Amino acid sequence: MKAFFATFKHDTWVMPYLRKYKKLLALTLFLGLMTFFCGSALMFNSGYLISKAARHPYNILMIYVPIVLTRAFGIGRPAFRYAERITSHNWVLRIVSDFRKKLYQAVAKHAVAIRQNFQTGDVLSILADDIDHIENLYLRTVFPTVIAWMMYLIIVIALGYFSWWFGLLMFLMLGLIVIVMPLWSVLLNGARETQSRKIQQTFYTQLTDAVMGLGDWLISGRQTDFNDRQTAPIDEIASLRRADHRFQWWRDFTIQLLFGVICIALLIWSSFYWTTDKASSNWIAAFVLSVFPLVDAFQSVSQGVSEWPSYQRSIRRVNALDTTPTDETDQTVLTESFSQLQVADLDFQYAEANHQIFKHLNLTLTAGEKLALLGPSGTGKSTLLKLILGDLQPTNGSVQLNDVPISRLQNERATLFGVLDQQPYLFNTSIMNNVRMGNPDATDAEVKAALTSVELAPLIDGLPDGYETIVEEGGARFSGGERQRIALARILLQDAPIIILDEPTVSLDPITEAHLLATVFRVLQDKTILWVTHHLAGINYVDQVRFLEAGQFDMAGTPQELYATAPRFKRLYDLDQGHE
Amino acid sequence: MFDPALFKLPGMRRLTVILGLLAVVEGICIIIQAQFLSLAIVGLWHLQTLATIVQPMLIFAIAWTGRQLLVVFKNRLMYPIVEKTSGDMRRQVMQKLYRLGPSYVAKTGTGNVVTTALEGIDKVQTYLMLVVIKVIDMMVIPWVILIYIAWLRWREALFLLAIFPLIIVFMIILGYAAQAKADKQYVGYQRMSNHFVDTLRGLPTLKQLGLSKSYATNVYRVSEGYRKQTMAVIKVAMLSTFALDFFTTLSIAVVAVFLGFGLVNGTISLLPALVILVLSPDYFLPLRTFASDYHATLNGKNAFADVQKMLALPVPTHRDQLGTQPLDWQADSDLRLSQVNFSYDGEQPALSQLDLTAKGYQRIGIIGASGSGKSTLINLLGGFLTPEADQGSIKVNGQAVSHLNQTAWQQSFFYIPQNPYLFHATLAENIAFYQPEAGISAIGQAAAKAGLTDWIETLPDGLATQIGEGARGVSGGQAQRIALARAFLDSSRKILLFDEPTAHLDIETEAALKQTILPVFENHLVFFATHRLHWINQMDYVLVLDHGKIVEQGTPAELAAHNGAYVRLRDEMVGAI
Repeated sequence: MKAFFATFKHDTWVMPYLRKYKKLLALTLFLGLMTFFCGSALMFNSGYLISKAARHPYNILMIYVPIVLTRAFGIGRPAFRYAERITSHNWVLRIVSDFRKKLYQAVAKHAVAIRQNFQTGDVLSILADDIDHIENLYLRTVFPTVIAWMMYLIIVIALGYFSWWFGLLMFLMLGLIVIVMPLWSVLLNGARETQSRKIQQTFYTQLTDAVMGLGDWLISGRQTDFNDRQTAPIDEIASLRRADHRFQWWRDFTIQLLFGVICIALLIWSSFYWTTDKASSNWIAAFVLSVFPLVDAFQSVSQGVSEWPSYQRSIRRVNALDTTPTDETDQTVLTESFSQLQVADLDFQYAEANHQIFKHLNLTLTAGEKLALLGPSGTGKSTLLKLILGDLQPTNGSVQLNDVPISRLQNERATLFGVLDQQPYLFNTSIMNNVRMGNPDATDAEVKAALTSVELAPLIDGLPDGYETIVEEGGARFSGGERQRIALARILLQDAPIIILDEPTVSLDPITEAHLLATVFRVLQDKTILWVTHHLAGINYVDQVRFLEAGQFDMAGTPQELYATAPRFKRLYDLDQGHE
Repeated sequence: MFDPALFKLPGMRRLTVILGLLAVVEGICIIIQAQFLSLAIVGLWHLQTLATIVQPMLIFAIAWTGRQLLVVFKNRLMYPIVEKTSGDMRRQVMQKLYRLGPSYVAKTGTGNVVTTALEGIDKVQTYLMLVVIKVIDMMVIPWVILIYIAWLRWREALFLLAIFPLIIVFMIILGYAAQAKADKQYVGYQRMSNHFVDTLRGLPTLKQLGLSKSYATNVYRVSEGYRKQTMAVIKVAMLSTFALDFFTTLSIAVVAVFLGFGLVNGTISLLPALVILVLSPDYFLPLRTFASDYHATLNGKNAFADVQKMLALPVPTHRDQLGTQPLDWQADSDLRLSQVNFSYDGEQPALSQLDLTAKGYQRIGIIGASGSGKSTLINLLGGFLTPEADQGSIKVNGQAVSHLNQTAWQQSFFYIPQNPYLFHATLAENIAFYQPEAGISAIGQAAAKAGLTDWIETLPDGLATQIGEGARGVSGGQAQRIALARAFLDSSRKILLFDEPTAHLDIETEAALKQTILPVFENHLVFFATHRLHWINQMDYVLVLDHGKIVEQGTPAELAAHNGAYVRLRDEMVGAI
């Protein structure tokens, strides 16, 4: 219980949306209620109809009203149900649109412009799934439960109107079905859910291990080990499912038995209350038969509620996202054109780490200069880029553009920096749209000119859909080198003075790499370039080289100077050229 | 509706008969329950006392309980078969996977394979659990009830009988209409539904382009568009449920009115009329429960077919042409390929007319532009790909084999790809993957030879540190060293297959790693596919590939001497052209 309320304490995802679109929500609940009301009323009315008819009324008009009502309820139930389903889906999908926008904004706030990795992709998919989960929370748990509770109230009040003690009895008995059983389910399921997730997770890891490491398994010849390894989780999953199923069978059985008891209780009550005269005894069949259509509505509550623990996790995760708006005071603009980027006496250390990444780092880049940054992985090349872009704040020292701290230029960023990283993202739309993202105001001719200067025009002209070709998910339609060229065209349109190249060729073969670098440095001739690279191919395109080692630059100079004076550089260069 | 493959499951035929009989009993329970409930109501209607209806109430209670018990009982009877089937299926899938090997995974995608084995089989389980009992119920219970109703009064029975196929026909027609509607919008629909994840993944790029803020409106707009399209499909799709609902409830209403007229005219008395009224919802109930789970069963049915299809895939045979023990590769052993061809799925050849001889402890470099077939050749040599049958020949020490997916061959080499896979296990277990019995000191020595000692010392639990999926991150260079440690630990495997092991590493890491790799070459037959030129200097033989063909082969010196493909390739790689 405590956990339940804790989930909603700082909730900004579930409750606010119940208030938004109130009318549509009320309509949904009303239609749901009417569905079950009509179902029950149909049987109630039919029971009354035939009881009354069995009294052989002298005139058919005596049973005319029940006949009309029977037909009305008969048509009403499916019609209301259809309408309820449509409105509930409509309501939920509306909320999903809001959710998506909200999630997008929350994630956008923390998105860092440098290097998306596989893991973040995973996290994002999880968050996107969470939204779908909350969608199901409404459809499978909230709506059925609220509707069943409203029906429950109506029944108790209606019966209480005839006799208060029977109303009270039904309050208790139906309460067992719509309140106690669901609670019991969710409590039991909560415990099982945790265990189930653990087992599922192990199985998932094992399977991924088995599938991704299949080559190693095969070569090692350890077939028996391979098979044995899967046995334990398979059995655990089986016993878990078995327990789940058993619980559900007996829970449904109990609910059905309770309905049997309610039926008998109704008969007994009727024998006291409705047997005073013939006219009132016509109501007995009505009351008893109206119970059966309720079984469906009430039984689903337990199942819906027992799914709560899995929704709870999703709700917690999205609520943990920071959705407060960013502080935008103190932002400014660069008044004159870019002349100098200066990193001065910079110290940096991640808050949670005990290891200092940069110590008194200095770097100056004047307009038009081209600098290559090298260093073994883990020395903080990416961190330095994040500091330069203002995604991270230095512990000491400063990063300035024309004497303005980069932290005050965050709104200006896209006009100052263009970034080409390892895997520039292409959106699943046309080439034209992807490139135009660099400058939404660009004309078609400008977009085409950019694509021509990155030497893609012949390729695109050869495609059946030309510039309107869809790039497919993640740009899958094109090769790695082609994707980089499309992204480069996008940067050309963006026309920022400083270009950051974050290992753009790491996943390319040397021939493609050599061609791409030639293009990059040709089209970006008049830009300032900061190029992080993993090896020395194309190093002669730059004016300056820096090697990052243990938080400082340990080699610095022009490529020619370094080749002449630094033996390490010479050795690496020769290795790269295949001379060693 | 009923998949014939289901009957092939062990014990299914017998179970079907038993479940059918139990459904008859359940039908009888339903009749008894209706009969005696009605009897009790009619008793009260005649203003009799409570005492007179005690007996019918009791019988009603027993029949009601019995009916619910039967439901549980049928499930319990069904479950062991379902559990066994799904468990067996998981095992079979894993075994099949082992035999299909990594080329199957590469083709199908890791995600798809994992999904089939995990969620796919879960769906199959749900499907089996739902479909068998529900279909049998639907084929038995309504008719038991209908016979009783007909015995009471044929006119209502005839009506109920006539409406049944009508419902099914309507559901099918509307189902097709919904499908057609969904199909028509499928492409746009799919793109919109993926748009959100696409946008989230592209967020860093949007930020780089300064579009991240304004794009929020776009997200909302696309999502709203998606909602409208979805609603259009749902409106049609829900019609089939509507039809079912409409016909069943209206039928009950019509029966009630029929009975009312019958009662007024005196052609039927209250008891049978009430029984018929109570029974009519139960007549439709099995159809309704089946329909409500129809989509779950549809998913399960597809998953079931997918699993069956995977299990039916052909696997490589003749894997023991070299025996089952690892080869003893010596300085005078040889591997000869002549006129070997390979193609993916019978398309144009990926490798053609391969002629190559590898002897003893040669170091063979494989170079070529990207897409020239380097990796394909390594995979062929590793036996992960099977060459075209009946074309060319492969001989190991003079023994002809039909492919290299040989138990003995595969236990004689190490395969080191660009990104060696690290298992979710301790570092020691990862190093000892090929030698699970190796002692900790041997593992430590191998790790030292692979240059891992310094790194291990920084780890909290040393060799016992958990690495791999979801655990401690390992850099690309360290992953290569772990793979090398495996080779150092097991010196009995004399053949090494490298597939671009250093392509993605930074130059300094690569330079350091090279010093570790070179000693491993001693006394090994080495195949080394690479586009990093400096490795060629360590090779004593080079194969130059172009468009799936070996266009040149010889020692590096020979190849450098005449101005052929090798020289051209080198020039192109250093950007000289």
